[in-house]
Amino acid sequence: MDVISQLGSGFANVFVPANLLALVIGTIAGMLVAVLPGLTLVMGVVLALPFTYQLGITPAVILLTAMYITGTYGGAFTAILFKVPGEPLDVPLLWDGWRMAQSGRPAEALGWTLFAAFFAGILTVICMVAMAVPFARFALKFDAPDYFAIIVFGLTSVVALGGASLTNAFISLFVGLFIATIGVEETFGAERFSFGVPLLADGVEYLTVMVGAYGVGEVLVRFEQGFKTTPMAMGAKVQTKLPSLIDAIRLRATFLRSSLIGLLAGIVPGAGATIASFVSYGIERQYGANGAKMGSGCAEGIVAPQIASTASVGGHMVPLLVLGIPGSGATAVILGAFLLHGVQPGPQIFQTQPQMVYTLFASMFVAVFAMCLLGYFAIEPLVRVLYFPEAITSAYVVMLCFIGAFAARNNLTDLWMVAIFGVIGYLFERLKFPVAPMILGCILGPTAERTFQTTMISFQNDWTVFLQRPVSGTVMLLAAVALGVPIVKAWKDTYIPAIRRGRK
Amino acid sequence: MKSLTRLITLTGASVLAAGSLFAGAALAQEKYPSRPIEFIVPWGPGGGADQLARKVGKMLEDNLKVSFPVVNAPGATGATGMTKLLVGQPDGHAMSVYIADTHALQVTGATKWKPGDFKALAIMVQQPSAILVPMDSRFKTWADFEKEAKANPGKLKVAVLGLGSIDDVTLRYLGSKGVKTNAVPFSNPGERYVSILGGHADALYEQAGDLRQMLDNKQMRPLLIFANERVAEFKDIPVSKELGYNVTLPQFRSIVVKAGTPPERVKFLADAIARAAASPEYKAFLKDSYADPGSYLGPDEADKFLKHEMDALSALVASVGK
Repeated sequence: MDVISQLGSGFANVFVPANLLALVIGTIAGMLVAVLPGLTLVMGVVLALPFTYQLGITPAVILLTAMYITGTYGGAFTAILFKVPGEPLDVPLLWDGWRMAQSGRPAEALGWTLFAAFFAGILTVICMVAMAVPFARFALKFDAPDYFAIIVFGLTSVVALGGASLTNAFISLFVGLFIATIGVEETFGAERFSFGVPLLADGVEYLTVMVGAYGVGEVLVRFEQGFKTTPMAMGAKVQTKLPSLIDAIRLRATFLRSSLIGLLAGIVPGAGATIASFVSYGIERQYGANGAKMGSGCAEGIVAPQIASTASVGGHMVPLLVLGIPGSGATAVILGAFLLHGVQPGPQIFQTQPQMVYTLFASMFVAVFAMCLLGYFAIEPLVRVLYFPEAITSAYVVMLCFIGAFAARNNLTDLWMVAIFGVIGYLFERLKFPVAPMILGCILGPTAERTFQTTMISFQNDWTVFLQRPVSGTVMLLAAVALGVPIVKAWKDTYIPAIRRGRK
Repeated sequence: MKSLTRLITLTGASVLAAGSLFAGAALAQEKYPSRPIEFIVPWGPGGGADQLARKVGKMLEDNLKVSFPVVNAPGATGATGMTKLLVGQPDGHAMSVYIADTHALQVTGATKWKPGDFKALAIMVQQPSAILVPMDSRFKTWADFEKEAKANPGKLKVAVLGLGSIDDVTLRYLGSKGVKTNAVPFSNPGERYVSILGGHADALYEQAGDLRQMLDNKQMRPLLIFANERVAEFKDIPVSKELGYNVTLPQFRSIVVKAGTPPERVKFLADAIARAAASPEYKAFLKDSYADPGSYLGPDEADKFLKHEMDALSALVASVGK
């Protein structure tokens, strides 16, 4: 009862002009940042931080949190419409989202992400309010081996991405993992594959791979075709198309699974929205009723990653508020905002700053609504962009790719990397190698390596620890199944008929 | 074909040469500061170095009426950001935060720069580091910890920033004195703190200032502080010197410019920083981060300080091995 009344006064506080203004600015800024490929959500929150110095603590935190939530949604637009993921977490969403848009249903794809983001946003805030303290305890249970197991599971989603050939998918994945090893190794500081070139010693930022291979690569493919592909939205309905309730209920299992994955991945420090998104896609592919069709443009493939990434936001806020532990880049910046205003998040914050905390909770509810309203009205004009001649939109896509990549680290080398990976992405496409597994390897590779090294040091090179701990053991088993089943199936499909034919 | 290549090379070279001549001439005449002064942070956003730059940058902006855009260039323990500073012009339009862990790289790792490549404007923050345990740890005092570490060498896990960092060197020094522990690197602060709160590691090496919220909330407590004298806020906690451990290696954060910056520009920046450091606002910032109230050192003392830290670390590393 107490929580309800506190939350009530929190809602009243959100509509104080200063707080409401912060919320609106945060929502719009989050959307813009997410749409720019390369300019990540974390970087956006960092850029916004200095502007919050002048504000009070409540509007400052409201602004940053609103950006954080919206940032998990805005990138879906570019992913679905242009095959350019705005954020790393949008990569899995693109696999089905873009396909659906290609088949003339861009508004439907965007409608699904909107619905998914709304559902996940509301759910995550409710869970956060209701169960903050027990959730925070759960966060403490995870150690390096568990993180590693989760990443391995994320990598197994490669089986979903290969398209026709599982072998090509694995080759692409290992190319990605190899790219991730270039540069200074994080644990022992050894330089690898740098050949004394400073450009390589710095490592390859996964963002540049993502933006280059998807954004620039795609434009190169279209360039070769003379920008002749018929604009996909032509003839398609431009009206925003929200899924019907019946369609949504049909996917109830997907909703449930991905919400759970998102919340858990959020609570565990070191996991986060991107991993949640990949893992959720992988699980859906493996265990979903419609799993086999994923990758061809089905709703499950859009809903699963979108729900998981948005649901992780509430999960991330829990350890921050309850334990003072920032689990992700964005929450680290929000922690910075708290500290700059002299407020220390931790177990006592519910007693010392109840008004601020509940206003923040209430603002997150309102932010979810604001985000969806903004998204709803943005869909129509954005889909209309597809009516422009392809050459013109492609020019803008390339420009946005470079601006975003430069904004991330202010590093000119990154622009070269974007160009190089643009060509690589193009070659992959031409040679019928899937690009997605390479990106997956680049994004998850560094974390996989770091958590593996930490585990080896922590447990004195005993690799069996991955199988002994309850969490990592279970996840590893799931990963083995996820990998094993399709491999055996592929083997059966190709070799057994071949052997039979041979006998005849 | 060959001559064409040569022609292009030559043209390029002459354009570059003319450009640099022109830049040199402009450098001499140009009013300073004529454009925003880039404030490089060789670390990610939200951390201690970043907070310092944003705090000081804002104070300098108010004071000098020039903007100081903060630019994060993280990577390779700060080496990426330093490279960014050192490839630029020494014209006083870029400065960088430079911290103890990056300084230590010159001893424990390989760096492409030498101490003479940059000029310190100030030491801004000096914070002692500590060994900390969760509130309910079975180790009540440092003596308990020391006893168990001696009984089971290498069994107790201590979470550190990374191998080759000053954290690691300090632990190896303790190891050489018989207190052998297993240093486990967690570069992500969130994972590092969870490691002891969740019982995955036995202790944590960290600057107390970065853990303000956990200390105030009584989630963690220090067992041993690496300093010469006891710290005002932790009167009951022993310091390394009194236990006979000759290791302090404080975390420090300084501000540097590229060597060769004209002296009047160095003075211009250093004076403004000195004014900022003397303000009550900055003093409050230091207090909030449990830093030494006398942290600030001007340009000349700062150079001596950096040299002293380098010598101390070299000696320590020489005694325990890289």
